Amino acid sequence: MEEAADPSGAMSEESRREVRAGLEPSLARLWRYALVLSRARDVADDLVQATCLRAIERADQFVPGTRVDRWLLAILRSIWLNEIRSRRVREGGGFVDAEDVLTTDGAREIEMNMTASAVLRAIGQLPEAQRETVLLVYGEGYSYAEAASALAIPIGTVMSRLAAARAALAKLK
Amino acid sequence: MADDDDLVALIDNELDESSRNALLARLAADEGLRRRYDELRAGGAAIGEGLDALLEQAPLERLRATIPADEPVRPSSRFAGRGLWQLAAGIAIGLLAAGAVAWFATSFGLLREQEDWRSAVAEYADLYTNETFSPLHPDASLQAIELSALGAKVGANLTPENIALPGLRFTVAFMLAYEGSPLGVIAYVDPSGAPVLLCIYANRAADAPLRSERQDDLSLAWWSSGGRSHLVIGRIPEDRAVALAQTIEKRI
Repeated sequence: MEEAADPSGAMSEESRREVRAGLEPSLARLWRYALVLSRARDVADDLVQATCLRAIERADQFVPGTRVDRWLLAILRSIWLNEIRSRRVREGGGFVDAEDVLTTDGAREIEMNMTASAVLRAIGQLPEAQRETVLLVYGEGYSYAEAASALAIPIGTVMSRLAAARAALAKLK
Repeated sequence: MADDDDLVALIDNELDESSRNALLARLAADEGLRRRYDELRAGGAAIGEGLDALLEQAPLERLRATIPADEPVRPSSRFAGRGLWQLAAGIAIGLLAAGAVAWFATSFGLLREQEDWRSAVAEYADLYTNETFSPLHPDASLQAIELSALGAKVGANLTPENIALPGLRFTVAFMLAYEGSPLGVIAYVDPSGAPVLLCIYANRAADAPLRSERQDDLSLAWWSSGGRSHLVIGRIPEDRAVALAQTIEKRI
């Protein structure tokens, strides 16, 4: 059997189409991941914008038929780790101890289940590695193995991060 | 704590069968371990709900407006190959927009009522001729940038594809303001050069269905949705203005 002539052109076109189609439905989840990582709403907005731009620039690298939402989350994480967080640390700015960023605005909080609000606040106080693992497994539905792969850590580390997070949240009760 | 790790993995249904059975047997025999299991289970109970609540807070309109309209244009190539006529077109667009802002600033002061914005646009549109936009042929990347910037101002995701209208050529997009709210104008020309405008006014209006009217020789078709009012206006038959408006209404 001969291979189809120049399949890469069609593949690139398909990649670009899937990436573009996947951006808008993923915006809220990208923003949530960005907020959980950065704990700063302005940084979260910028991070999502940079992710969209990078995704379109690199759409050819997306493998059609795989999960575009997870590909976008991985791009966002990479930009956070390699560009934004490292720059802030280098500039000595760091991040404010924003314990109340992962919460709701006042009006919404009244309408919202107070338990969820308290949990969010508690998640905001966890170390970044735990926050991120909690988000991927309990927010995004990653299996332990998928989270380990996405974060490039052993499954045992995923387990201990989740256990530590749950233990911290259990103290709220 | 090793036990905590296993208990949480049990809660999350992530243990293999033999580990699961072994832990269940220990739980049956160890009250302290059962208590810890209950604590950890309760500790995670509202995590999903809390994280879902964050999704609802995402500033979607703002984020949507930041999605690049098309393939990003690299600065090195952005102006490459742009001829003098394109530069002239750019200057013309700038002058046009500046003139429009000045005109709006003076004329709109006289029209206090929010609902008068259509009449104000109609007066403005009446000044355009077949020669106003038809000489302009900005390159596609410039158009995409203009649309994206305009979309960001009025809170809509605008691309050359979703604002394309049958039988009309999109020329330029520019920003105005009315009563302190952003008013975006997307200008098209028909094959004869006659201008047709799509105006998007971020006035936080309540949703309203499509309606149309004639004002002198101009046809207007307008509707409100998503906190924006939209207007298609031009020297075209009224039913054509309605058809164009319906096309856009479905897309943005």
